[in-house]
Amino acid sequence: MPVAGGAALWSLQPLRSGRPPIKRPILATLSAAMLAATIALAVWSAFAPSSSSLRWGPHLTLTMGADDLSRIVSVLVAVIALPIVAWAAVHEAEEGLLRLVSLLVAFVGAMQLLALSRDLLTLFVGWELVSFFSWALIAHRWRESDVPAAAAHAFNATRAGGVGLLVAAGAVFTQTGSLQISRLSELEGAWLHAAAAGIIAAAAAKSAQLPFAPWLYSAMAGPTSVSALLHAATMVAAGAYLLARVLPLLEPAGWVGPALMAIGLATALVGGAAASFQTHIKKLLAASTSAHYGLMLVAIGAGFSQTAVAHLVSHAAFKALLFLVAGAAIAAVGSEQLSRMRLGGTLPVVAAVGLVGALATAGVPPLGGAWTKERAVAAAAHASLWAGALGIVAGGLSALYSSRFYFLVFGRGGTSRPRLRPRRVEVASLGLLAAISLGLGALWLPIVQREASDLVPGTWPSPAVWETVASLVAVAAGLAAGAWFASLAGSSIPFTERVADWFGLPAVVDRWLVTPFVSLCTRLSVIDDRVVDAGARGIAGMGLAASGFLARSDRRVVDAGVRGVAAAAQWLARVFSRFGELGFDGLVEGTARAVGAAATRVRAVAPAAAHRSYLVVGAGILVLIAVSAVWR
Amino acid sequence: MLTAIVLVPFVGAVALMVRRDWDERMARTIAIATSAIPLVLLAAVWVRFDTGSRNRFQLVEEVSWIPTLDAGWRLGVDGISLAVASMSAVVFVAAACFPVDTRGRARQYYSWILFLEAVSIGLFLSLDLLLFYVFFDLNLVGMYFLIGRWGHSEARRAALKFFVFTLTGSLAMLLAILGLFLASEPRTFDMAAIIDSQPLVSGAAATAVFFGLVFGLAVKTPLVPVHTWLPPAHVDAPAPGSAILAAVLLKMGTYGLVRLPLQMMRETFQRYAVVLAIVAVVSVVYGALVAFGQRNLKARIAYTSINHMGYTVLGIAAAGALASGEESARRLALTGATLEMVAHGLITGALFLVSGAFWSRGEEYDLDAYGGLAGRAPVLAAATSLAAFASLGLPGLAGFVAEFQIFVGTLSVYPVLAALALIGVLVTAALFLQMLQMLFFGGLPRRWARFRDLTGAEIVALALLLVLVVVIGVYPSWVIDLIDASSRLLVAAM
Repeated sequence: MPVAGGAALWSLQPLRSGRPPIKRPILATLSAAMLAATIALAVWSAFAPSSSSLRWGPHLTLTMGADDLSRIVSVLVAVIALPIVAWAAVHEAEEGLLRLVSLLVAFVGAMQLLALSRDLLTLFVGWELVSFFSWALIAHRWRESDVPAAAAHAFNATRAGGVGLLVAAGAVFTQTGSLQISRLSELEGAWLHAAAAGIIAAAAAKSAQLPFAPWLYSAMAGPTSVSALLHAATMVAAGAYLLARVLPLLEPAGWVGPALMAIGLATALVGGAAASFQTHIKKLLAASTSAHYGLMLVAIGAGFSQTAVAHLVSHAAFKALLFLVAGAAIAAVGSEQLSRMRLGGTLPVVAAVGLVGALATAGVPPLGGAWTKERAVAAAAHASLWAGALGIVAGGLSALYSSRFYFLVFGRGGTSRPRLRPRRVEVASLGLLAAISLGLGALWLPIVQREASDLVPGTWPSPAVWETVASLVAVAAGLAAGAWFASLAGSSIPFTERVADWFGLPAVVDRWLVTPFVSLCTRLSVIDDRVVDAGARGIAGMGLAASGFLARSDRRVVDAGVRGVAAAAQWLARVFSRFGELGFDGLVEGTARAVGAAATRVRAVAPAAAHRSYLVVGAGILVLIAVSAVWR
Repeated sequence: MLTAIVLVPFVGAVALMVRRDWDERMARTIAIATSAIPLVLLAAVWVRFDTGSRNRFQLVEEVSWIPTLDAGWRLGVDGISLAVASMSAVVFVAAACFPVDTRGRARQYYSWILFLEAVSIGLFLSLDLLLFYVFFDLNLVGMYFLIGRWGHSEARRAALKFFVFTLTGSLAMLLAILGLFLASEPRTFDMAAIIDSQPLVSGAAATAVFFGLVFGLAVKTPLVPVHTWLPPAHVDAPAPGSAILAAVLLKMGTYGLVRLPLQMMRETFQRYAVVLAIVAVVSVVYGALVAFGQRNLKARIAYTSINHMGYTVLGIAAAGALASGEESARRLALTGATLEMVAHGLITGALFLVSGAFWSRGEEYDLDAYGGLAGRAPVLAAATSLAAFASLGLPGLAGFVAEFQIFVGTLSVYPVLAALALIGVLVTAALFLQMLQMLFFGGLPRRWARFRDLTGAEIVALALLLVLVVVIGVYPSWVIDLIDASSRLLVAAM
């Protein structure tokens, strides 16, 4: 595939590129170079509109191309991935490092495929490949007993929604005979509703929205760099990106916007609360991710896809940054528990960039994250006052857990000296991401906003004065509350564990979905063995009598089927012998005896003997055929 | 040329049976070489096949056999049979390559493998109903001995159950075939003539013949609830036997559904397509759920076969459904169903060979007994993962290309049933991920501290199948165009 496809293939290629003893600096340089090339290709294809395709069959053609939204996401993915992958090559454990880095780079390729797809087939291919790479990356530490199950949880949960895309693809194909994403706008009636529901389910699962959100906690079983890439630019981003692209096409369904706003707000609030009480450093960030994607969904639902994409970009920068900061902190104290951190001034650089990330997450001006979040809240308020108010609360929660995060990680009072300090490449990666976060602060300047509007057509929702004031007050209150919460760490507060765990949603899912499902399967397999098989044997016995006979016979009866035939035949003979005067008594008797005798014989003939006789029969037939074929 | 494709492995089988002086090594070499000849010849057929042709069958060879019944040695191909026959030839080469304990009877073992290859490929190429039936039954014989003599555990019981069960099915089919023969005017077993004349259109006879055919083929496929012969047959068969059973013998059921009821009894099929579709969806969901409940590696894979064959039958049912204006969707469904036969053959063949590797190392199929093998056997882990992900429908691998077409095509015809079938997609993902996890991840039990990775011969056999899985998954147009050439004609005729 030319130009645009090159970006994807280029990054897919390096899989298994080197030998195991490859040195870290070489690996870092190689992977960074590959991603830099990907950036170059992505930028090139963004400015030189082009498309490429691969034909699969008469109705199936994969097409890729860059347009308004896809080129932004395509470039974003590569730009964010570069520092993360370089960081991983230097930071992560030695075992399986090459596999990890190769998969990370390939992951970027799969996401490019998704981002640049123009039809639902290509989209779905990218969609599932992203899930696959997430699975492989989350399961990176496969020797640990819980890790592979966590990876499977992530895969299964996102696939549960992902099949919705198949419904959408089928609907578009049915109505238009094509799979182009743009043809979604031609859908009507039930097909439109089915496609819209399928797409929303797929996106909600991918973007870790309620009720799928808990999979993102499981995803934390992967290395920190994986989490960073997953949250910032690849897997989770896919859902919001897809919605931003297709929502205008689904607008005729009517209910789609409000539904998205409801899902988004619910996730933003619940996720914000969960993050506020979470004690695990990465899970705090995970809940925060769900909450911020919730805000994006709100903006999309309100009709401001452009705003959502802007927040996607700023979120990518600050969340990737915070994950790498978390990785550095975990390495420094050797624990993922927030209560064990309190690094104080021991890692000044990490603390500084961590502050940038935390402030951006909190939504403190003049950082870019603040501006995009304010616009998302304004979008919500544009749709309804209530939504706006709830959005402001969600923003306050974001400030709360951000400041709690910062104070718990970098507050004073820790006793130990850091075990590991970040190396130069790690610091450079952190610095680059922090610089992007700071640079996005330029979005506060009107001229930059106009430029951004040129990039993505659309209008920015303008907040009313009261909204801005209320929002800033909420942020300030959140910051203060967060600091206070951080000081409480250690003292246990009732309910907080459950709140932190999505208000117990995973337990509910486990109790009402997973456990019944597993027991259903186990039971079915027993039933299949005993009842269905017996039923089939009964049918083989051609009647209830045979079935009753077989129900009594157990596994020790080696050839119940054959005996069943014989028994049934005898039974039939008995039944029919009562109607002897009808005249076919002899016929039935004879048949029954013949069948019975044959069955006994089949059983009696030792396989070795039968083996020869069958071969002779088979050979005879084939020889006959062959001879007659040659004869002519 | 088609005749040679059938006869070469048969001659090989006979030679292996009579040459007492060949030792195991020799027998193996001869078997592999002979099994590869049909593959080469089929490749040549592939080149000669004209996808633009309006003829239903190409490269037809016809020799009169029983003139009074107008039965003959009639062979020919269309896109569907050529695709399935080629897949079978690949699987047979892989099965012959795969090392197995022949218990001192190597010649006989390889002889049966070649015999099966002859009659299997013969079935897919035959254009005569009687010949089709003869091949159909000879398959049973070959498989019966392969399971009974080289299987393990309760192999004889499983073999007998398999034999009696499928023989019942084929008897029903024989009666139905005779019904078709008697109804044809002039009486003939020539498939092409019967397809053209559509002898049985309505009435009780048509219904009876239709259900006779469907029952016989459903047992072979197998569809729920006549599937219970499959798991024991698979579990106790030797690995290459399982691979052949899953990859080739099951396809006779679905291929037969296309060739016999769908093509020869169009109108009856249209009337009952929805029944078939419902049974298919039940198989999809039920097969997946029961598979998840299995703790035995081979039984689990066996039940996923029921699930996948359910997709295939769903696609076929949609293709033959009475629906106006959905031609491109039905065509897509049929192409997808055929590709699913090919994909399932390659993927499940590989999965069963993998399970054979487990058996030869540990004599154990219990998933709970394994764990942590990714470190000891990385190649085995990679091959199994590739096959498992292909089976659960990961894009970029063959199963996805087929299933995507089936779903998109079927959704237009039977929206609700297609949506229900999606449950199967979710469950298969869960069960394969769990399987990989139980085999390869976590801690390594001490018992397997000396577990060997795949050997060279095993790798060759698996690579043969898995390379094709990847190639079809990434660039399937060469095979889709071949199949579609026939499904286009077939659906247009409906």
